[in-house]
Formats: sequence, structure tokens, C-alpha cells
Amino acid sequence: MEKTEIIEKLGRILSTVLKHDKFEINEALSATDVDGWDSLTHMLIITEVEKEFNIKFKLKELNKLQNVGSLVELVHLKLQN
Amino acid sequence: MIFNSIDFAVFLIVVFAFYWFVFKKTARLQNIWLLFSSMFFYGWADYRFLGLLLISILVNYFLGIKITDTKKEINKKRFLWLGLIFNIGILGFFKYFNFFYESFVNFVNLFNGDMEFSPLKILLPLGVSFFTFQMLGYIIDVYKEEIEPSRDILGFSVYVSYFPKLLAGPIERAQKFLPQIKERRSFNPALATDGLRQILWGLFVKMVISNNCAVYANYIFSDYSEVNGSTLLLGTIFYSFEIYGDFSGYSNIAIGVSKLFGINLMTNFATPFFSTNVSDFWKKWHISLTSWMMDYVNTPLSFSLRKLKKAGLLISIVCTFLLVGFWHGADWKYIFYGFLYGLYFIPLLFFKTSNRTSIVAKGQLLPSLKEVVQMVGLFMLVSLTSVFFRADSINDAFGYLSGIFTPDLFSVPQFQSRGMALVIMAFVVLFVIIEWITREKNHPFVDWETKHGVIFRWAVYYTIVLLIFVFAGQEQQFIYFQF
Repeated sequence: MEKTEIIEKLGRILSTVLKHDKFEINEALSATDVDGWDSLTHMLIITEVEKEFNIKFKLKELNKLQNVGSLVELVHLKLQN
Repeated sequence: MIFNSIDFAVFLIVVFAFYWFVFKKTARLQNIWLLFSSMFFYGWADYRFLGLLLISILVNYFLGIKITDTKKEINKKRFLWLGLIFNIGILGFFKYFNFFYESFVNFVNLFNGDMEFSPLKILLPLGVSFFTFQMLGYIIDVYKEEIEPSRDILGFSVYVSYFPKLLAGPIERAQKFLPQIKERRSFNPALATDGLRQILWGLFVKMVISNNCAVYANYIFSDYSEVNGSTLLLGTIFYSFEIYGDFSGYSNIAIGVSKLFGINLMTNFATPFFSTNVSDFWKKWHISLTSWMMDYVNTPLSFSLRKLKKAGLLISIVCTFLLVGFWHGADWKYIFYGFLYGLYFIPLLFFKTSNRTSIVAKGQLLPSLKEVVQMVGLFMLVSLTSVFFRADSINDAFGYLSGIFTPDLFSVPQFQSRGMALVIMAFVVLFVIIEWITREKNHPFVDWETKHGVIFRWAVYYTIVLLIFVFAGQEQQFIYFQF
């Protein structure tokens, strides 16, 4: 799957979980830029991402995430393996 | 040696002078002196627990190295578990043994058992909850490979025992603290004066605001069945300012003292009463504990329960706050206190709100009406909940709360010395105004000299010192020393 496709799907997951689309999805976007994306909703987003791409994260991997870009990178890596 | 005592002032001057004049040559010398001073400080409070502190330092130091140097994953895990059991064991024994023992006896007696509870005489080592939590975080971080283990026993010992934060935090993270003491510190006059100002502010908040509010809170809480509803409600407000002034004042002094040695400690309070919901409040109240609980309890727990979606989040947050409550002490009232906060999070999970940590009305002089209502509502919720924290037992807490919600809630409060009460209230109002104006800063005197002339600054310092001498309330031990 192309990274652009991953990023698009992530955008859709974000707006479904957070129930708004007042953000512009791109690699530099991080949780602090998005209304309602906090430590509680983060786990809901992660669960949806796992379901959408049929992958499994490790907690260690999640702790290292910085922004949407690194999440895309991680999903991309998981899909290749 | 409490911070607002002559003993501590003398101690601090001596440690400061030797640190910058005698032991200034290398980082090693500076650390040796800090370690010696910290051990002296701890031993002064109670020399019997020095051994426990030293054992904790050594065991965790070697476990950290073992976890990293061991090749096999299964052995890494074994050392991790050893660390968890060791540290939780220390807490469990010194802090919670009698609680579990008594609860067990009561449980057996429920089924017609005939056990007698004879508590073991265990003294609670000062600061044990704080340094043990640091050690747990350290061991977990090393295992998760988020940090390299310390291979410098001297630096590591300073990290654990550093006297400004030893007795009541902030609960520092190794990755923030250790790099600061790796190199030689050179004297930074700007940082040191900022530290002195922060100490002055902390002393004022502790001695004038907190200690005076404590007098009224103590009186109302001890006679809660004798006074009317409005007095009881006022009692919860006095207590809120007592405990906030106590612990934020302490934290300001600790952070300020540390700046004198060129070491930054983490922010522990960020004007929490200016919060619009519970989540916001806990991001600003006892930050070093809450962020610890989020990182080491809530995140792993909600991760492993993520299949349950919102139910998983709910279970994790309630468990996390049960633990926050229990951390404060071995008593059902603290557990209930934590449980309530866990419940307060539920509406936030189901009704979407903006949960960004926010400075209310950022950049503006006044908040909007909606923000005022939210802040006052949150403050009242916090104050009423704190009854469980303050009351002698959970039954007293319920008795106190049921006393508030009676028709005489709308009558005039009863006070012994009304004049003094009004003076204290005026101080509280002044305190709230100052905190509001400077809510975007770490403490009210940040960047003070770029803004105000020397005469104004010193006039303010002298006024505060004068206020402390004239109005310092009856001496109260720092509340968090018991945890």
C-alpha cells in the first residue's frame, strides 16, 4: 500500500473517532495540533488503525511515535512484513 | 529539617557555599558533595532509614545494569520482575502492611472468625513513596530500552537522594535528571536568582496562605457535627487552599532550591484551580505523580484492554486513579478519593470535549462567562471531593458531606474570630488574583527583572517578607511528608 493511501485512511479514522474534521492531515500533524486527540482517545485511534490495516502494534513502538508521519512509517513497515 | 525552618536555612547556606567555592572543580566533586549533603539531610530527619535508602540505590543500580547486559529476553524479564517486586515490596511492607493485615483480619471476622488485629510497629520512612516510584520508573524505562542504565554509581545515588526533592518530590525522571549532573555545573546567576524568587513565593504560599487556611480547616473539620452547612462548605474551600498552598508552596521551594545548584526539577503544579474539567485539572495538579501514573499504569493498561474500546479506557482510568488514591496512604478514604476521580472521567470519555491541556483564556485578561462557570464548578467538585482526603475516616467524610447539604447551607457561617477569617480570605483572594495574572508562567516572578525596576522589585520582596513575619500561620508540617 502506498503511503499516500495510508495517510488518507488515517485521516478518515481520526475524523471518525474524534467526530470532527477540523484538521489537515499530513505527516507533520501531531496529537497536540488536533482537538480532542489526547491520551484517552489515542488508544481508540490506535485500535481503529490496527483493525483497518489488520496489523498489531507493540507498546514499545507506540511510545516512539512523534506525529502522523512516524505512524504512517510504522504502518507501512508492518504492512511490508 | 523542614524547608521553612532556621535549621534548613543554615544547612542550605553551608551546602551552597561549599558547592560553589570548595567542590566546584569537577562534576565528580560536585556530586560527591551533593550526595554527602543529601545523606546528611536524610539522616538528620531519621538516621535509621539511611540504610534503606542506600540498599534501594544499590539494588536498583545493579538491576538496571543487569537488565541491559543480560542477553536473553527471558532473563531481562526476570531482572525486571525482581526490580518490581523489590520496590513494590519496600512500599508494601513499610506503608501498607498493617492496612492489608487489618483488612484481612476484618474479612476473616466477617465470617465469624475470631482473629485479633495487633498492628506491627512499622515506622514510615520519609519520602519512601517518592523515591520508590522514581526507582520503579527507572527500572521499567531501562527494560523498555527508553534509557541506558546509569553506570555511574555516584551520579545515580545523587539522582535518588538529591535533598531538594527527596522527601516529597517532584518525582523526577532519570532521563531528565542524570544528564544535568553529568557535566560540571557552573554558577548561573540568572538561574540562581530565579530560584531565590521562587523560594520566596513558595514560602509565602506555604506560611501565609496554607498555614492560615489550615487553622480554619482544622477547626471546622474537627467539630464538623457542631457547625452549620455554610461553615462546612467554607471549610472545604479553606482546606482546598491549605493543601494546594502546602504542596505547591513546597514544590516551588524544592524547585527553587534546586536551581541554586544549577539543576532544574520538573514543574509540579500549573495553577490547577484554573481548569475547565477533571482531566485538565489532573494535568496541572501534582504533575510529576499524574504523568508517572499515566506513563506506567494507564498507558500499558489501556493498551492491553484496547479491544474493549471505551470500556477498556474506562477500566484503565478508574484503576489508575484508584492507585493514585492508594498511593497517598493505606486507608479506605484515599482509595475512595481516587475512585471518585476515576468516575469523574467517565463523562469525558462519552461526551467529546476538548481535552487539550489549556491555559484558560490564554493571552486575555478575563475568562469568558462559560469558563468562569466551568472553573468554579470544577473547583467546588475538587473541594467537596477533598473531604475524603482530609476527614479522619471515610465515615467522617460522609458525615461531613451530609452536614453540608442541609437547609442551613444558606445561613451565615459561624466563626470564632471573624475578623481574622476575613483577613485570611482577603489573602486567598489576593493569591488567586496573582495566580490568575501569572498563570502562563512557572511562578509569578518569572522574567521579573526585565519588567520591573529595582526599587519596585525590592519593595515587593520586602513586603512579602514582612507579610510572612506578621501573618505566618501556626506552624504546620508539610502534608505530603507523610506519603
